[in-house]
Amino acid sequence: MLFVLIVVPFIMAGLVFILPNKRTGILLFIATALFHLSCVISFWKKTPQAQWQNYLSLDVLGLLILSIISALFVTVSFYLIAYLKKEEDRSARLFLICLLVFLSTMTLVTVSRHLGLLWIAVEATTFFSAILINFHRAPQGIEATWKFLLICSVGIALALLGTLFMAVAATNIKSLLLEELLSHASSLDVSWLKLSVIFLLVGYGTKMGLVPMHSWKPDTYGEAPGPVGALMSGALTSCAFLSILRVGQICHQAGQMAFFQSIMLLLGMLSLFVASIFILGQTDFKRMLGYSSIEHMGILALGIGFGGTGFYGSLYHMLNNAFAKGLMFLVAGNLYRQYKTSRAKDIKGVLRSYPWTGVLLLAGFLCVTGFPPFGTFFSELMILNAAIMGKHYWFAALFVLFLAVIFIGISKIILRMALGVPRDKSLDHPQHESIYLIIPPVILGLIVLILGIYMPACVHEALQTASAIFEGQ
Amino acid sequence: MEIWLDTALILVVLLGLFMTGSNRLGAIIQIFGLQSVVLGIVPFLMYFSKIEIHIVFVSLVAIVLKGFLMPYFLFWAIRHVSIRREVSPLIGFGTTLFLSGLLIAGSFILSSRLVFPGPAISDFIIPASFSTIMMGFLLLISRAKAITQVVGYLVMENGIFLFALLLLEKTPLLVEMGILLDVFVGALVMGIVVNHISDQFEHTDTSHLTVLRD
Repeated sequence: MLFVLIVVPFIMAGLVFILPNKRTGILLFIATALFHLSCVISFWKKTPQAQWQNYLSLDVLGLLILSIISALFVTVSFYLIAYLKKEEDRSARLFLICLLVFLSTMTLVTVSRHLGLLWIAVEATTFFSAILINFHRAPQGIEATWKFLLICSVGIALALLGTLFMAVAATNIKSLLLEELLSHASSLDVSWLKLSVIFLLVGYGTKMGLVPMHSWKPDTYGEAPGPVGALMSGALTSCAFLSILRVGQICHQAGQMAFFQSIMLLLGMLSLFVASIFILGQTDFKRMLGYSSIEHMGILALGIGFGGTGFYGSLYHMLNNAFAKGLMFLVAGNLYRQYKTSRAKDIKGVLRSYPWTGVLLLAGFLCVTGFPPFGTFFSELMILNAAIMGKHYWFAALFVLFLAVIFIGISKIILRMALGVPRDKSLDHPQHESIYLIIPPVILGLIVLILGIYMPACVHEALQTASAIFEGQ
Repeated sequence: MEIWLDTALILVVLLGLFMTGSNRLGAIIQIFGLQSVVLGIVPFLMYFSKIEIHIVFVSLVAIVLKGFLMPYFLFWAIRHVSIRREVSPLIGFGTTLFLSGLLIAGSFILSSRLVFPGPAISDFIIPASFSTIMMGFLLLISRAKAITQVVGYLVMENGIFLFALLLLEKTPLLVEMGILLDVFVGALVMGIVVNHISDQFEHTDTSHLTVLRD
């Protein structure tokens, strides 16, 4: 079943390549996304069997992230109906092909249980997302693509070196299968393990966008088309986070959790610091979202670093952040379609011209900055609680300070965009908005809201099982 | 056999050094191909007494992909964007060479401190691999032309490949193949982006890519 889930999007990509029509391409894409989602829902009921001598299997961490990917792809697939309307046939099909392969490789990340295979999958996601960033073929888009490709490739190359160091540490185990590594973790060579953890964290941290390996993020998110930004900031960063959690799992079993957590604390704090500085005075809406993504990745790292309830908080925040960012980038896509820019100065009075997009923009703002009753508020509160319980008072104070600064920075940009009177007088009354551009972000917003006010029992249970992996000795 | 293995490893490092000091793109690509071929022969010398199908396969694929296909593709790319020379590197050629020397020395010092568990094959493998990785990285950050940066990335991967040879018996064939394929696809995508850069800007100097910043 797992293998099917990886191969089907790949085959569909081939079909889109052969069939000449853009319309059938979009239909095939929607069908694939729905098929993917229905499979993933069935996995919640019944865990699929491991395949390929345990190389592929799905644990609760993988399942959580696979669900994020699947849900985001389904919403984006409907969004694309309207988004690709004006595009010419050929570029739209290339776009769909890359998206399908992207889906396939990200699925592989969530189900691979071998560190080498995991690396292959993460590396493959880089290339296909790189092609997607450059969809509009603008000069800045190419610059962003080049930076993304180069920085992420070097980062991922370091992760490969880290994987090899892990293999050296595991000389006695003679395998890089996660099951084997976890069950014989005490026989890992400690000094090589530590070296490997550093390289793996730097490598996969680059992909996740943690400071100081973050420099590609604002550029890439600033140039990527809205739906691609939604998938990258929601699904791809979660995949990178999963890779880091796998390293954490090994460290936990090997009794090196304190070492792992101290690095995560450092990277997390740095990310929050840098994000809060650069968000103030940001003039571009999408670049601001890039820094906001760096901030949230920092929060995830901090949650893991604090430990205790932080594990639960971090995983919970991963879900919230994925959907909140998805919502924000789809709104950014809407704005870009209408205003042909993402410079905050040139966008004014969205609420008057495009009431639905304006309301979504404000809702997304509340999601991203962690306002109750949205889920992000509760997950951030949980991580703060973990900091205080773990007696990291200074970190807790800084955490609140940075969040406050970021809140001010984001509100300054977004309120100015949403409120006020449009410059162009012809936009002073409500314009037509396509239903396909509105419903998908509404759904994503509702998911974040539901995660905040009423956590479904099965999700709660999954989060608890997942966080229990890291707790205790 | 040991003497041949050491000779091959020294050759790999020297070829890396040559690349960091050269300004002709064609020469850099050819030397990269040569380095990859030498690296492809290294596993035969390492596992001389117990050659298996697995080892032969990995070596052959590495030689064909990195020694011939990639240089061919890179040559196509430089013909397409019609550039021959690295004109204004971010760090001068003399300085780069000097830095490479320091990096090689550093790699030897670093690897003398690491204890490799398991059978030691040659003392040169780990330092040679580290110096190749670092020289690749140096090439990547010190050159302005996009193509040279791609070669720098590939040289880094060559160094990692050399380290991976120590673990060849433990890694499954499929994973090895996947890694080689990924690197190949990576170079392909980068090459295509290089072409986009030259189409848009009529040059491939990445030092001019500075519109996006805060």
